[in-house]
Amino acid sequence: MLMPEPDQGVIDRRDEICRTLRQLVPADCVIDSRESMRAYDADGLSAYRQLPLAVVLPETVEQIAAVMKWCHQQGIKIVPRGAGTSLSGGALPLADAVLLGLGKFNRILEIDYDNRCVVAQPGVTNLAITKAVEADGFYYAPDPSSQIACSVGGNVAENSGGVHCLKYGLTTNNLLGIELVTIEGEILRLGGKHLDAGDYDLMGVMTGSEGLLGVVSEVTLRILQKPATARALLVGFEDTGDAGTAVGDIIAAGIIPAGMEMMDGLAIQAAEDFANAGYPREASALLIIELDGPEVEVDALIERVEAIVRKAGASSVRVSQSEEERNLFWAGRKSAFPAVGRISPDYLCMDGTIPRRRLPDMMRRMASLSQQYGLRVANVFHAGDGNLHPLILFDANQPGELERAEEFGADILRSCVEMGGVLTGEHGVGVEKRDLMTIQFTEDDLKQQQRLKCAFDPGHLLNPGKMFPQLHRCAELGRLHVHKGKLPHPDLPRF
Amino acid sequence: MSIRESCRIPTCRGSRAVVVRAGDMTEYQIDNLGQAAEAIRQVTADGQRLELCGAGTKRHLGRIASYDHLLDAGGMSGIIDYQPEELVLTLRAGTPMNVVEDALAGARQMLAFEPPSMTRILGEAQAGVRGTIGGLIATNISGPRRLTAGAARDYLLGFEAVSGRAEPFKAGGKVMKNVTGYDLSKLMCGSFGTLGVMDEITIKTLPAPETSCSLLVGADDFAGAVALIARVFASPHEPGASAILPAAIAAEEGVDSGSPFTAVIRLEGIEASVRDRLGHLQEMTGGDALAEAASVSLWQRIRDVQPLAEKPLDIWKVSCAPADAAKLLDSLDPRLNIRMIADWAGGLLWIASSKAQLGPALRKAVQELDSGFAMLFRDVGVTREKIEPLQPLSGGMYELHKRVKASFDPLGVLNYERMHQGI
Repeated sequence: MLMPEPDQGVIDRRDEICRTLRQLVPADCVIDSRESMRAYDADGLSAYRQLPLAVVLPETVEQIAAVMKWCHQQGIKIVPRGAGTSLSGGALPLADAVLLGLGKFNRILEIDYDNRCVVAQPGVTNLAITKAVEADGFYYAPDPSSQIACSVGGNVAENSGGVHCLKYGLTTNNLLGIELVTIEGEILRLGGKHLDAGDYDLMGVMTGSEGLLGVVSEVTLRILQKPATARALLVGFEDTGDAGTAVGDIIAAGIIPAGMEMMDGLAIQAAEDFANAGYPREASALLIIELDGPEVEVDALIERVEAIVRKAGASSVRVSQSEEERNLFWAGRKSAFPAVGRISPDYLCMDGTIPRRRLPDMMRRMASLSQQYGLRVANVFHAGDGNLHPLILFDANQPGELERAEEFGADILRSCVEMGGVLTGEHGVGVEKRDLMTIQFTEDDLKQQQRLKCAFDPGHLLNPGKMFPQLHRCAELGRLHVHKGKLPHPDLPRF
Repeated sequence: MSIRESCRIPTCRGSRAVVVRAGDMTEYQIDNLGQAAEAIRQVTADGQRLELCGAGTKRHLGRIASYDHLLDAGGMSGIIDYQPEELVLTLRAGTPMNVVEDALAGARQMLAFEPPSMTRILGEAQAGVRGTIGGLIATNISGPRRLTAGAARDYLLGFEAVSGRAEPFKAGGKVMKNVTGYDLSKLMCGSFGTLGVMDEITIKTLPAPETSCSLLVGADDFAGAVALIARVFASPHEPGASAILPAAIAAEEGVDSGSPFTAVIRLEGIEASVRDRLGHLQEMTGGDALAEAASVSLWQRIRDVQPLAEKPLDIWKVSCAPADAAKLLDSLDPRLNIRMIADWAGGLLWIASSKAQLGPALRKAVQELDSGFAMLFRDVGVTREKIEPLQPLSGGMYELHKRVKASFDPLGVLNYERMHQGI
């Protein structure tokens, strides 16, 4: 992975830069020893590591603004960082850039039930928002699998989703307002507790901009009343195509499940070995379909969904009869990544989206690629919205296997785009898929995006080297490298 | 008919743009982005500006601005691909809304943001002409379900366009889950055609509810109605929309609760669920039920702001935090003699008055809140000459907007100053 050539002039000024930063923020908010900076040298894409120039952990928005203003004046690059759980290298440090950590912004500022929203600092974890309001029957809908650790500011930067986004939307659909610090150090408020405004939707553009346009210093999030109940179906199919048909039939019948997940044969076996969730081992595809809402509605829809999946050729159907059983259905799915890590020394986790009707084509393509490359692939999908997570199994100790796995992964993402889909459904571009952007976008498309970047950050000081391909592209392609089943944050659920 | 009034949907086109000249003004009737780019290049070469227009039903929104020529994009019309089971509709931006609605109804689906039909309150459109999907996206106008389902901006998945630089570009995609690159779709929504000319767009659709009904609950004052709605939203009975009507309007609409204000709460879904939730909420609030047919018709009138449409009054759209709405209304001088309905649980106020002081009063009231905005939506006189129709931007926001505009349209060729001065 080729990153921008570090500016030696800036690196040579490191001591002076740290001295000034200590005047802009409390002295103990600047970290510059190599040992202490180690904790910040990577995010969730830990194949790439780099020590930053210095780490700054401001405590107030004024301090963020002061740091950014000074760095802007001095032409010093800034890499913003939330909790560092990105799977695409969005928070990968640069040798000549200040790493701006938002970890101290960890307070919920206001819980406003009258207007059904929460105002929080960006370093608050995703799950902490729900925890703060659940006693009163509310929750925050986007639920990325890393929600116990990922920050809401990072969620805005990556436009995070979760297994329930089919029904409840992504971060962008649940965000009401942000406070933004520009690279010039100006503090702007976008959106708020009102819904419509007569300006450009800059908050919409900030969401998913991967830290390239500005630093989010406060968020206002919409909270929802928790559904009265939730039940799930566990449905096995002998034929993957039939499972795909069932998913389409459910939606065509006017039903939007809260979540609709699919696993293929290898993923079913691995998950069942790992979690003993009672999955049908003989099935070649498994659907977990969750419905939530008022009890009478859920009961009625469960019946309808059951009829649809049986008609589509389901070989087994189980309906959860208790919360315990519903959680058990999910336990296998949620342990799919570590389960696959147990059956292979290494795997690459891919993330692309296709139009759902192309799923059978994609399964055939993957089977043929699997033969071609001589590597196994296990599949878990967010089936409702066509978001794929193929896990390519390999052994990094076998010469050439890593390279073969990477080529395999790149071919899958190329296939996603060929079939009318996109390179990344939820993990982001970051450094991971940066050099694949030209598969999906023309030069004109990318030029327009970069011009927008220039409107926010003319000096290209914010998070350079991310999202946009460099002039010299390297052959490394999009993936998350997992060695010996060890994810970068082994304690974090990933699904 | 002068060229300024002729923005219409042409019936027949060749491979080249139809160019109609009237005096110094040229009307470019385009049906593809190549022609749009060519028109932009020609106009730019002469140092002039274009008004971008679909069916022309929303030309009276925004600022009064003068343009040298007209770009009629209504010819880029038609549905390209609709896959109901994918919840995805790809179509051309000039497609009239009745065509969109017919296609969706055929699959029992909808645009969940409940697009209003504003032709009646905005007026001056030709009889029978419906707005285009592109115009709807460009103005980001949403109806009652915006409260729970999101705005137009939440449903645009991707698009192809030509920028003010006459360069083609695309962004987003044709799938629901996508974080590849900047989300330029959000930016196009509500940009009033100032950033680009869109052709192909992809929109997320959702199943239409099988049935619906409403609950009518009386309240002694506006704040009480907002608080009551907040209690309903804190229950697990999933209200989908909620409006507040003052007694006079409630009486005109035939839903008078006998109280100074009537809260209207809509429930949607499958029959068993709607009936069950209505029962629970009636128990909780003591309100009356409004059956499906009457409920549908009432919500359509609220959506289209019909209760304020009849009289020749200026109409302002105000959005604020729902709990701030009562304070905002209280701050208005009774002599303004306003006529008002509220939607979005109190977060949207449609306010009509014949008094010119209404605009400045609303701007001042919004200023005193933490967040909110006021926009002149219908101008029956010359109000737009005296006050900015869209909420003016603060210094830093204005500079950023200018730079964003310039990144798409550095010479200000497209709908220049339609939203804000200098943009």
